[in-house]
Amino acid sequence: MARGPFQFRRFSTRLICLLLGLLTAVLAAVYFLISQANLQNAIDHSESNLELGSRVFDRAILQRIESLANSASVMSQDYGIRSVLLQDKPDTATLSSNLKSYTQRVHAPVIALFDADGKLLANSEAGMDNENQGPFAWLIHKAAAQDKDLMTGFAYLNGGLHVLVVKPLYAPYPEIAAWFGLAFPIDEEFAREIKRITLLDVTFATVDEAGASRLLASTLPGSDTRELLPVVADNVRHPVRVRTLTLGGARYVTLLKTQELLGGDSPVTVVLQRPLASELAAAHDLGNLVVLISLAALAVATLAALWIARGVSQPLQLLAGHTKLVATGDYSKRLTLRRVDELGQLAAAFNQMTAGLAERDRVRDLLGKVVSPEIAAQLLQSDLKLGGEEREVTILFCDLRNFTGLSETMAPAEILNLLNRYLDRMSAIIEQHGGVIDKFIGDAIMALFGAPVTLPDAASHAIAAAREMARALNELNREFAAEGRPTLAFGIGINTARVVAGNMGSKTRLNYTVIGDGVNLASRLEALTKEPSYDTPIIVSEATLRAMSDPPPSRHLGDVKVRGKVESVRIYALGAKGESQPPFRS
Amino acid sequence: MPARILAVAAALVFGLTARAEELVKVVVRTTLEGKPVADAVVSATPLDHPAPPPANVTPVEIEQKEQEFRPYVTAIQVGTTVNFPNHDTVQHHVYSLSKPKRFEIPLYQSGASQAEVFDKPGVVTIGCNIHDWMVAYIVVLPTPYFAKTDATGAAALPPLPAGRYRLEVWHPRAPAPLVQEITSDPSKQAVLDFSVALKPDKRIRRAPGGRSNDY
Repeated sequence: MARGPFQFRRFSTRLICLLLGLLTAVLAAVYFLISQANLQNAIDHSESNLELGSRVFDRAILQRIESLANSASVMSQDYGIRSVLLQDKPDTATLSSNLKSYTQRVHAPVIALFDADGKLLANSEAGMDNENQGPFAWLIHKAAAQDKDLMTGFAYLNGGLHVLVVKPLYAPYPEIAAWFGLAFPIDEEFAREIKRITLLDVTFATVDEAGASRLLASTLPGSDTRELLPVVADNVRHPVRVRTLTLGGARYVTLLKTQELLGGDSPVTVVLQRPLASELAAAHDLGNLVVLISLAALAVATLAALWIARGVSQPLQLLAGHTKLVATGDYSKRLTLRRVDELGQLAAAFNQMTAGLAERDRVRDLLGKVVSPEIAAQLLQSDLKLGGEEREVTILFCDLRNFTGLSETMAPAEILNLLNRYLDRMSAIIEQHGGVIDKFIGDAIMALFGAPVTLPDAASHAIAAAREMARALNELNREFAAEGRPTLAFGIGINTARVVAGNMGSKTRLNYTVIGDGVNLASRLEALTKEPSYDTPIIVSEATLRAMSDPPPSRHLGDVKVRGKVESVRIYALGAKGESQPPFRS
Repeated sequence: MPARILAVAAALVFGLTARAEELVKVVVRTTLEGKPVADAVVSATPLDHPAPPPANVTPVEIEQKEQEFRPYVTAIQVGTTVNFPNHDTVQHHVYSLSKPKRFEIPLYQSGASQAEVFDKPGVVTIGCNIHDWMVAYIVVLPTPYFAKTDATGAAALPPLPAGRYRLEVWHPRAPAPLVQEITSDPSKQAVLDFSVALKPDKRIRRAPGGRSNDY
């Protein structure tokens, strides 16, 4: 038989495949889900980290602004600066040198002083041109207009991105006598400081109106920034606050925020990034653990499947072996399964079945011995019930001569032995010719031809059997003589008649037999062989000869009056007068 | 000065008229709440004839007491001398970086006094270099016709001869002076109402432990 991919010769293979398949699917699903959850979790966590980093960044800027504002407040109280400002024409060189000394005092790289109208008075860096003054002037204008004592913004000073702080010089408060302008650069160092605090990579980049992106500062390696710049350019066109990027083969969760600049310059994009790998590190360990546990689970499942399969297939194999034995007719073996589950029940049922089969076979065997095999088959096939059918049967009666006298001179065991050998021989011949032993009546045999099994030309078979029996008796007698035992002689009566055949007896005990006048006549004919005048061991009725397709030569013996019948019956001997020894003439 | 205000007030209350010059009274209130605005300087600069020179050349005083300038707002005519007596227990360092008058009076003792002449019109903000909260305003005016509003927000100008005037109301917390042209008619007396949107009072609160301010 062709086997498909999922047909297994062995139950254990099927069970292992099924169990491992299911388990693998479940574990793979679990691993996949855990991985997905971990990834999502890492991204979410990174995002919250980035939002936190974004706030830290804002806070860092704010702190610097506050620091510069405080510095400006201190400077506004500087007596030296005031003294110069009291002059009718303030000496700007003095002021500039004073401011320069302040750049070191307050750690602000750029300090400028403007008059109340926003005109540059002095500057810590020589040569602050108009372009660089512009953003300060704009902030001063805005602060004055809004009556604010602090104004800040992002702008380029000398090409570098700076945070600008403008703070009034009050003389006295709230009268504004001048403005301080301070600035600190948003450069690599600032980016590194933000990274120190937040552990995030920081990049500042800008995209001009033509779409060309320019890197201002970054903590990323140069190769990664080159990959990042197009993303920044894309973000300007389609802002997405948080993205996941791959830079230099590593995945980064990335936050992009835009910082507007003073004076209409293109805004600066602040990029905060966290490598996903650092966030996934813990999840990675968990993933490995899951894989390890999965493998262990698979191994255990394999062992469990093998154990279960053995537990099932071993008894099944045992059962299969026993079934084969039973099929060959060996009912001697019994299954021994020490278990109470279904297999144990099956074994018990199997044992019961084997016992039942053995019992049935024994009964059948016994039946075959007690009754003829054909009758036994008839009995086993039909549901046993009383009643019969009328059919034409040839009845053969065979009885030993003078057996009663013989039995008196011999030991019973000897007699039985003798009788059994004789009956055994005769029965075999009858059965060979399709006859059925109806019963043994002491030393007599009653045999049927044509019942219970229909037999074509039953009469001929009966005659042939009778001839053979006579030859067999001669043979048997030679054996008996050789053994020093007495010899036997029999008489056979054969009649063919319509009789009633069927099961007869009581409801609990019945026999398959035939009854009718024809049966009695056969018995009469057998008895008539004792008549010396007939001088024949076999007497056949006219009905039998008529029933034969090819009646043999026969000798008419005369007419016999049968009891209870008006007409007499013509009887015949087979062969010539006195021919009692086989072979009979045919 | 209080006596004069009292007289003007009495005249207003009793409806006294028949003067050679018009009595112009100005009431300044806040725009939103209508509260009276004190310390507003109301001045009338003649447009048809030159302003007369200061009639009263007596120096004005801005004293330093309890680490404050008193008064908070002083209006003077151009050319007036202002004395800055120190009536305090500590030294002060009075200065101004205002354009009309840049000056400083370096630390000077209690009991001492320094004078400065204010010869250019404009607002001069006075501070103290060592006490950040001290502030005073001197409004230097090119006209003798001016007055300062009292706690009720009212100020009565000196009698104005007939003619056109540029009426200006200045206050330290007003974003800009309020300006209005008026014509003086001696047969009448006018009450002019001004409303001004004051900026928040940003004067520095003195550090706790010091005396409280009664702003």
